[in-house]
Amino acid sequence: MEFAIISALNGVIYGLLLFMVSAGLTLIFGMMGVLNFAHASFYMLGAYIAYAVSSIFGFWAGLLVAPLIVGGVGMLVERYLLPRVHAHGHAHELLLTFGLALIIEEAVKLFFGDFPVNYQMPESLRFAAFSLFDTNYPFYRLFIGGIAVAMFIALWLLLSRTRTGIIVRAAERLPAMAEALGHNIPVVFMSVFGTGAALAGLAGAVAGAFYPTNPNMGLELGVIVFVVVVVGGLGSLKGSLLASLMIGLFSSYAVGIDWSLATLFDLAGLGGWARAVGGLITMEVSSISGTIPFVLMLLVLLIRPAGLMGERN
Amino acid sequence: MKKLSLLAALSAGLLSATVAQAEPLKIGIIESLSGAQTSSGRLYATAIQYGVDKINAGGGFNGEPIEVLEYDNAGGAPGAADKFRQAVADGVDIVFQGASSAIAGQITEDVRKHNIRNPGKEIMFINVGAEAMQLTGDQCHFYHFRYTTTAPMRVNALVQSMRQAGDLGTRVYSINQNYSWGQDMQAAIEAAATDNGYEVVDTVLHDVNKIQDFAPFVARIKSAEPETVITGNWSNDLLLLMKATGNAGLDVRFGTTYLDQPGNIANAGETALGHYIANNYDNSAGEPAFADAYKEATGHYPLFVEPQTIFAVGALGEALSGVDFGGGEIDVTTIAKALEDTAYETPVGPITVRPEDHQTIRPVVVSKVVRNAKYPADDTDMGFEAVNVVAGEDAIYPAQESCAMDRPD
Repeated sequence: MEFAIISALNGVIYGLLLFMVSAGLTLIFGMMGVLNFAHASFYMLGAYIAYAVSSIFGFWAGLLVAPLIVGGVGMLVERYLLPRVHAHGHAHELLLTFGLALIIEEAVKLFFGDFPVNYQMPESLRFAAFSLFDTNYPFYRLFIGGIAVAMFIALWLLLSRTRTGIIVRAAERLPAMAEALGHNIPVVFMSVFGTGAALAGLAGAVAGAFYPTNPNMGLELGVIVFVVVVVGGLGSLKGSLLASLMIGLFSSYAVGIDWSLATLFDLAGLGGWARAVGGLITMEVSSISGTIPFVLMLLVLLIRPAGLMGERN
Repeated sequence: MKKLSLLAALSAGLLSATVAQAEPLKIGIIESLSGAQTSSGRLYATAIQYGVDKINAGGGFNGEPIEVLEYDNAGGAPGAADKFRQAVADGVDIVFQGASSAIAGQITEDVRKHNIRNPGKEIMFINVGAEAMQLTGDQCHFYHFRYTTTAPMRVNALVQSMRQAGDLGTRVYSINQNYSWGQDMQAAIEAAATDNGYEVVDTVLHDVNKIQDFAPFVARIKSAEPETVITGNWSNDLLLLMKATGNAGLDVRFGTTYLDQPGNIANAGETALGHYIANNYDNSAGEPAFADAYKEATGHYPLFVEPQTIFAVGALGEALSGVDFGGGEIDVTTIAKALEDTAYETPVGPITVRPEDHQTIRPVVVSKVVRNAKYPADDTDMGFEAVNVVAGEDAIYPAQESCAMDRPD
């Protein structure tokens, strides 16, 4: 019971963190059709900028400045780099952002070194929110979750309830028509890309203080964020949230499960034989918990290729 | 006609020049100098260069300074195989590598095959950091030398020292990465249990560098109620695990093998205090002169994997001093035989090569994270303080039976 409750809590918060990073990616893909490979690099950039700013002006300043700068970088990328390859199609955009990811990673190493930097949460946030079964639950985890929830609500309201949202959606559906009605489509796209990047930057600034800020953090999270977006349905914000939470919970529970295929054979009385065979049969679920998101992605792609909440196109 | 004779004279001059010039010994560093493992790869390369500079300052070898060539394997075995071929083309005699056992496995296989196909032009592989048991097990061969510890050496030294200090307890948890190194660690932790009076309450293996959130593992550790957690985790997997444990307020002591990786102590903060590490060397156990000399040359005290790498190059230097080719062709087999017989004196004790599998017999230093350390880590006030130096003969384990080494005549 204790394990179940704690794992649920851990899973939800980790899921919310994943959502925080993938929200921007989903937004950019959903509104512009650009699959931004450099998205996780924006996340890392956010953490490093927040680290640099916070070491001089304090944690909160870092949290504020990082999304702004990363958003600005995103806008520049959209304005000056992407249009050059746009005519060649999605593959070229993907390659461009992939190259950008490599450049950002090496640039970060150049400026901040190869090792993790000492980016810490402020002492005022370092306390236990509550104690559950004698285990302290750090407040900062709730803080991460809270920001993710706020991000989801704000984005959702913005896109579905405001005039800006209508224009953005119109620009995505029928750009020529929206342009004919007097809306500046390039600026709309630039803002969407900038906002997506800024969200990644904010996620980096928040999460970098809890997890280590190192030059590999983009690489490590990048793959899983893509899995989230594919499982949730490319471009669907709600799908991303759902997929993030599922992946968070599945990975969290998998850790506590010692089952292997041999356990299945036990039911048929063949457990002893299966264990003697060894290999894949005795591999415990807990030791492959990091693989679960990919299994989930495989299943979703087989059964529902558009993702959980994606629209078929 | 005049032109032709000039050309003849010129080429004759060139020819005699090459004859007069001795053949330099070439060392190739095939390291992860870009990609995720850059941080470790760069340290190995720096330490090798430092060691070679010292040999060259003493006159080099074979009448020439030793040449160092750096190759970036980009963090993967395919890249390493590619760079190995390039190194062969460049005439490299000795290959150095340390970060990643997977890459070492590739290189040692490539070296073995190269030596079978090119008798008389052998290449030597000095492994300064890859600790997978199979490298001195079924993959062992005469031209591979491992100048670092392995899992049983570290674990034996660690649990012995923690037990003597009264910090081990009787309930030990094993959490490791699910690949050769982590599996070796887990086996070593289980094997050392009876002799050191502890029970392994639970073991878990997890994916390597894929887990972002270790809180679920902490929940699992807590339910087993251990006193000590022993882990061979490195990089993020160690840092995230320790931070998650600290955040949950779980009161356990960690026994580690890679806690001294730069950035770890600063990032973990006070959570790291009191945790143990077993490693090849620690500045607080050795001579200040050794640390100071390195700092003067490179700008920082030798840390993490650097000391063992410096010792490996030092041992090579000593072996070379007993070999003389008179400026002629270099025979790597002779150098390998000399290295096999070399006992290299480090500040914490001698390092010798075990002829059966070319694993080095070497002291293991066990240290603990304390405040106000003599050599602070990462610009904090914390650092490592040696609690015990386990002599080579006490830390070593019997050579693996799977090693069948073909020796040259």
